Amino acid sequence: MFNRKGLLVSVLLLFVLVLAACTNVGGNDDSDSQNEGTEGEEAKETDAEQVLKIANDQEPAGLDPHKTPAHSSVRIYSQVYSGLVSFDENMEVVPDLAKEWNQPNDTTYVFTLREGVQFHNGNEVTAEDVKYSFERILAEETASHIASYFSNVESIEVVGDYEVQFNLSNPDATFLSNLTNASAAIVDQEVIEENGDLQQVAVGTGPFKFEEWVADSRVNLVKNENYFIDGQPKLDEVIYYTMKEESARLSAIRTGEVDLTTLTAQSAELISNEENIEVKDYQSLEYSYVGFNVNAEPLDDPKVRQALSLATNRQAITDIVWSGDAVVSGPVAPSMGDWAIDVESHELYQHDIEKAKSLLEEAGYADGFDITITTASTYADMVDTAQLLQQQWKEIGVNAEINQIEWGEYIDTWSNTSADVLIGRNGSGTDPDRSLNYFFNTEGSANVWGFSDSEFDSLVEEGKVTVDQEQRKEIYNKAQERLLELSPNLFLVSPMKYVAVRDSVVNFTPYPHDGGRHC
Amino acid sequence: MYAYILRRLLMLIPVLFGVSVVIFFTLRIIPGDVAQTILGTDATEEALAQLRKDFGLDRPVLEQYITWMSGVLVGDFGESMRTGREVLPDILSRFKITFELTMLSAILSWIIAIPLGIIAGIKRNTKTDFTVRIISLLGVSIPNFALATVLILVLALTFSYSPPVGYVGFFEDPIKNLQILLLPSIVLGTAMAGAVMRMTRSSILEILRQDFIRTIRAKGAKERLVIFNHALRNAMIPILTIIGMQIGVLLGGTVIIEQIFSLPGLGQLVLTSINQRDFTVIQGAILFIAFVFVLVNLLVDLLYSYLDPRITYK
Repeated sequence: MFNRKGLLVSVLLLFVLVLAACTNVGGNDDSDSQNEGTEGEEAKETDAEQVLKIANDQEPAGLDPHKTPAHSSVRIYSQVYSGLVSFDENMEVVPDLAKEWNQPNDTTYVFTLREGVQFHNGNEVTAEDVKYSFERILAEETASHIASYFSNVESIEVVGDYEVQFNLSNPDATFLSNLTNASAAIVDQEVIEENGDLQQVAVGTGPFKFEEWVADSRVNLVKNENYFIDGQPKLDEVIYYTMKEESARLSAIRTGEVDLTTLTAQSAELISNEENIEVKDYQSLEYSYVGFNVNAEPLDDPKVRQALSLATNRQAITDIVWSGDAVVSGPVAPSMGDWAIDVESHELYQHDIEKAKSLLEEAGYADGFDITITTASTYADMVDTAQLLQQQWKEIGVNAEINQIEWGEYIDTWSNTSADVLIGRNGSGTDPDRSLNYFFNTEGSANVWGFSDSEFDSLVEEGKVTVDQEQRKEIYNKAQERLLELSPNLFLVSPMKYVAVRDSVVNFTPYPHDGGRHC
Repeated sequence: MYAYILRRLLMLIPVLFGVSVVIFFTLRIIPGDVAQTILGTDATEEALAQLRKDFGLDRPVLEQYITWMSGVLVGDFGESMRTGREVLPDILSRFKITFELTMLSAILSWIIAIPLGIIAGIKRNTKTDFTVRIISLLGVSIPNFALATVLILVLALTFSYSPPVGYVGFFEDPIKNLQILLLPSIVLGTAMAGAVMRMTRSSILEILRQDFIRTIRAKGAKERLVIFNHALRNAMIPILTIIGMQIGVLLGGTVIIEQIFSLPGLGQLVLTSINQRDFTVIQGAILFIAFVFVLVNLLVDLLYSYLDPRITYK
């Protein structure tokens, strides 16, 4: 006979011990507090410790600026690192780590660094660090997402302690604006050698130092007392909370648990009457689109694509999908200012069923055709857009079926062009080169549509090497017109974005150029 | 009995092996590319190829499996492809939260469900019984995501209350920890309580009809004694089965509730890693969940024999 009770107790005890062991291993989330951050945030009213609490809908994917393009990561590491130059609110290039730069000829840039700037670990920033950072970006084994931005860079030379020279293989009008990308961050070789990579640590020169990242919960940044811009940052600490559920973010901002959160159009309306909370909006750099596999029948005929554009009612998409808060967009989003052409009056943007039908007839599809629209189930706006298009296109006899797929599969479908019609959203980047050359040049690395047009190619290639701004603008205007005419994608609308801010936060203005710092 | 436990533990080996094979090869069949997901639209072909090589995804699938398995056997679950964090410590720290949430919800549900279920069973077909039955039906049928959202909104709008943001562990700050876990525990506990209440009621009803209860009553035993010492103990077996299953499922992570209440638990980890095709994390987490599920089942089986000595294991 054995003692059943005793046995039970010992089994329970074992279970508890296993759990306790788990707890010990799992409790190992102390942060490396050796890291440092970049810039400051909005000031709060009180004189006490100024802490800004921000609710985000997504968890950062990692912190290595050279390896992580996810926006949820960019908004954090852009506070911790600095680049050579950055954008001001008018998207003009201004000094950052480089106090000045000059261009001895079309293919050479020489940057003079600020002296005495320290990484958050105390190491001084020199020309060697700049060289190291860009060589890391360009090295194949880094697998950096922004290597494609700097494929023109032939070599980087250290001229002096604080002077570094970039030699390009050919003139590149986008070079300076590409340097403003938060991923073109200057990093410290020593930190990388210690840690292997920078996914879990962050040591930069920005206004905030990285303190702690608790997975799926929060990231803490603290003030960099030695930030190279005097008087900044004003905040002592910034905490980013991951709160995936919108209702949770709403309730947290209502009760003051957080000071700032992003919102959808629907919630922005809900919360707009609330005391103590201000909803700020800004035009995003994104636009929604319908991508076509231009090698698949019947979409290989530009007339069919034009007909679909004419059958598309962009106003209805604005009203229904975005609660009226979006503007029609071409291949360059309207928030890019002068670079974007006015598409509103473009003939293919008019909702004209008769004309669409006659174009279809010319193309030999008088009775319409059947097609599948693929969209990501993850994003409600994409699904809604697909449903509207399904109804709208029916008017010209195009019978669309909707295929909703999950995000991982969607990305696969995008990169392999395995869908004939794909709904998506694109970021316009910071230079028209990104939105045109890169997405639609025959050789463009994100041209997944099979689109190829020699006239368009030569325009965007010329645009990339034309340094004169006026001339450049003209070239890109032509390129946009050409793209609309051939419609490899239908460019739909560019939505507004919303930020809800408690009244304890002052001087906060959101800008479309993402990754803006909290200074 | 020791032999029995040992046998059950040995059975873990084929179960986990099966799970590992299924999850590993399924992941490699479904569409989705971790490199493209990580690097986004900016990446060049070279960068994508380099990343796949870094993750070993360019090697034959069988070789990948053997490499992974030989790591797992010595407790090395590898690193997350996405964040570079070690997989096992990550799973365990998430499990801590899921475990605490599960236990709080379970305890909450027992406190409500078992007494009410007993009362309803004793006072069959009275007003009390009907009330309890309606409550339990509500508990079972209200979807917990709806209850969660309504709770959050009502508390924020009428009482200006929202739970503190940013998870803290119980040992760091017990009060804040409990504040954070209270609402999700109520939501999960309500659903669990509904099922347990119904089972308790019907189980008690059935036992009370049996001959031995009549005999005990005929002997003049006090009603309290009849219910707690005799009826309840015998009625516990089916209740325990339900509870065991509930706990086993919840320990695998409660994706929706964790998401709504921003809890960094196991469910969120699994969901995020599936969306990102973070193979190492998915594999590790699923294996871990299977392991916990089997252990919980074993524990329940052992509890049976404690409650009913007629059940023995050899």
